Amino acid sequence: MITALLALTAPLVFAAPPTKSGPESPAKSVAIRADVVWLGDGRVLEKGVVLFSEGRIAEIGTNVSVPAGVETIEHKGFLTAGLIALHGYTGGQAGEMRDDARPAMPNAKIGLVFDASSPDVADARAVGITSLLLTPNAEGVAPGLTAVVKTSSRRLLKDEAHLSLVFNAGGLVSNREPTSLSGAVAMLDQLFAKPTGAVERAHGGSLPCLFEVGEPADVLRAIDFAKRHDLRGVIHGAVLAGEVADQIKASKLSVIVPAIGVGERRRNLKSVVALAKKEIPFGFGLDSPVNNPADLRLGAVMCVREGVDAKVAWNALTSEAARIAGVADRVGTIDRGMDADVVLWSGDPLDLGSRVIAVYVDGARVDGDKR
Amino acid sequence: MLTLVGCLAPALLSPAEPASVSPHSAIESHTDGAQAGTAKKDPFETIFIRAEHVITKPGTVLDDAAVLVRNGRIVAVGTGLSKPDGATELSGKYVCAGFIDAWSALGVASEALVDQAASPATRTADGVDVFNFDHLRRDALRSGVTSARIQVGATGRVGGLGAIVRLAPGQSEDDVVLSPDCNLWMTIGLTQGSQPLFDNQGELIGIGGRAMDPFERVESVDRLVSTLQAGKNYLIAKNEYKHELEAWQKTITEKETELEKDAKKAKKDREKAEKDATEKNKKFEEKKYKEDKKPTAPRIDEDNEVVARAANGELPLIVHANRVAEIRALLQGTESLGRLRLVIAGGAEATFFSKQLAERRIPVLVWPAPLGRNRPDEYEASDLSLAARLKADGVQVLIGSGGIDPAATRDLPLLAGLAIGAGLDRAAAFEALTIGAARVLDASDRIGTVEAGKDADLLVLDGEPLVSTTRVLNVVAGGRVVALKED
Repeated sequence: MITALLALTAPLVFAAPPTKSGPESPAKSVAIRADVVWLGDGRVLEKGVVLFSEGRIAEIGTNVSVPAGVETIEHKGFLTAGLIALHGYTGGQAGEMRDDARPAMPNAKIGLVFDASSPDVADARAVGITSLLLTPNAEGVAPGLTAVVKTSSRRLLKDEAHLSLVFNAGGLVSNREPTSLSGAVAMLDQLFAKPTGAVERAHGGSLPCLFEVGEPADVLRAIDFAKRHDLRGVIHGAVLAGEVADQIKASKLSVIVPAIGVGERRRNLKSVVALAKKEIPFGFGLDSPVNNPADLRLGAVMCVREGVDAKVAWNALTSEAARIAGVADRVGTIDRGMDADVVLWSGDPLDLGSRVIAVYVDGARVDGDKR
Repeated sequence: MLTLVGCLAPALLSPAEPASVSPHSAIESHTDGAQAGTAKKDPFETIFIRAEHVITKPGTVLDDAAVLVRNGRIVAVGTGLSKPDGATELSGKYVCAGFIDAWSALGVASEALVDQAASPATRTADGVDVFNFDHLRRDALRSGVTSARIQVGATGRVGGLGAIVRLAPGQSEDDVVLSPDCNLWMTIGLTQGSQPLFDNQGELIGIGGRAMDPFERVESVDRLVSTLQAGKNYLIAKNEYKHELEAWQKTITEKETELEKDAKKAKKDREKAEKDATEKNKKFEEKKYKEDKKPTAPRIDEDNEVVARAANGELPLIVHANRVAEIRALLQGTESLGRLRLVIAGGAEATFFSKQLAERRIPVLVWPAPLGRNRPDEYEASDLSLAARLKADGVQVLIGSGGIDPAATRDLPLLAGLAIGAGLDRAAAFEALTIGAARVLDASDRIGTVEAGKDADLLVLDGEPLVSTTRVLNVVAGGRVVALKED
């Protein structure tokens, strides 16, 4: 019943729908030789060369033969994969990210409202963020589908990354059902009793879920729900998720650590250390543009200072984030065939004092066009 | 006796010179061991620190050098020093001065931070809570911040006197307060409808409410300037009174001498006049001298005392102002106050006035997130690139954690890192966190560099300071090695 209604009232989008194809004109080939190249799978190349061709990484190594006529850029510093910010609203108009009239619209696609020309997108790109996981606002019980976008064009990397399911009190309002946490779970159980559309895909395991939680108790309720309906996916929103790390580990769910900022409570940072200790896969949320995009790297650095292994923290910004967003085959690491999403840094990227020198998305340099 | 003489009795009118307390008096008393009324203290240990590089001050590095600390102070810095017997030895790759958070909330109850009824004479030092925040102090020390300027009334039009505190935990108030009056604080554009925001654990997380419109903001600059002008006038009145009193006292002395010289005649005349009056059944009246008219002292006003000191440049005035309208009005309005030492805090749009700021040597104290594009009254620059842009224009830059969240002081070195990442050079960032802040806040005789005679607030590091991956190995705060172990 509810889903039928939803089909009729699918979000009205006035912007032209984004294309799934690549950028308008393929970027020209270029080779970059950097002092240090972090491939993202643990390997590090000194004086490594990365060759871009048609928006993809064509070749990597220390002894790459650069085709004639292709420019080689010498970079004194580090080269890494672009950063991936999970859980953000960047590029979507605030009003488009929420629909508080209906409690469940599992088929609503947030990717449709992405506006790459928004100044927030340029801000994200300027600090080295090349992909974003856009999430619908956690309203009701099933606010829609997440999407992965690039920060350079209207290109959608994935228009259906997760089915968002809400288990925190933030999704409840007093003037429409459900008005209680137990009521929310009951409504979700109903959705999954006769699954259609995105719910059906999630139920069958082909679509991961994004479990929106708050307190550790919400985490446990989400884990129970995932177990009951055989769902996979990722938990977002619990700053203290690490305090129920054992249960998360057993559930095989991964975690999006909510945005970390200046003055973050130490207990919250310790929670991330606990996740890392249990080897639970995690990435970092940003909730941009509410938060400054520079906070993404700041959060990772703060976790390192609190005791998270530097490699684990870096992967959480890149390769692990790509896995959580379901786009690890395209972005998050530097490898042949991957999208040429690359950041050049003046020094060690885990030193906040290192500057972004250049950002490439799909092989084209994009850091010049700031807002 | 002459009535005149009675008038000469010196009233206690010495124009209130602010009591100048020797900055070292508190420290020196430590050497006497335990103090009455405070917790029992360990005596100071002698500390000998070796390092591959000792950064004595920005730009000056001694290689393979050592620092000797005794009785709370640095007594020697250099190469070729040898470790005295019994000294505690520390070593690391770098030694530098402890960082100073020029805008912190660490050590003051949040109710006091957002007190809107503060007046110029309100002292942050009176609100220092030494029995609280120890875990946050330890966190700050672990990341290398050894002292902080704290400020009550952060959202009031006038916030009162800021204080510099040392962050070592478990100390008495006397030991903690390095300066009880390092600045006067005022704000523009923050007072109307400002409400403190608390998170669900009851911790202060920010200031909400819609800020004022430009006309209200400019009007509030006018009020600020007239407050300063009133302080200046108060000072003028006090000085005039001082001179008038001196002149009057001089005249009185002269008259008295004159009368003394002719005392016999004067006595005779007076007795005759009294006798005549009695015979004629009239009331005897003492002769009036025009010198009897003593100048009246201006009413002592604690607030004006403080404002006068600021107007006179005896302590800096820090004004929290962000947008073009109020910064322009502030710069215009204070132009005639030549001795004022103005500092702008926040300064989100200060780059529009870089030239003036550089010429008038007005530093800007930047902080992590001056609102942002998503807040009601949006304005430029919501990141720390402001520091780099101002510095490039020749403006002195300081960095603070923002004065609202006491936990943020821990992240001061990361904020400096972000500023560096946004283009500020490392040396300038290091200066901002050490001697730069100390100079602006008149504390450079005690903190900010690694030099003999200074308080021993030192960091022992495993790498270059302000690199995010550098670890703090040891902290010496107020001459004592701080335990950095987890609680």
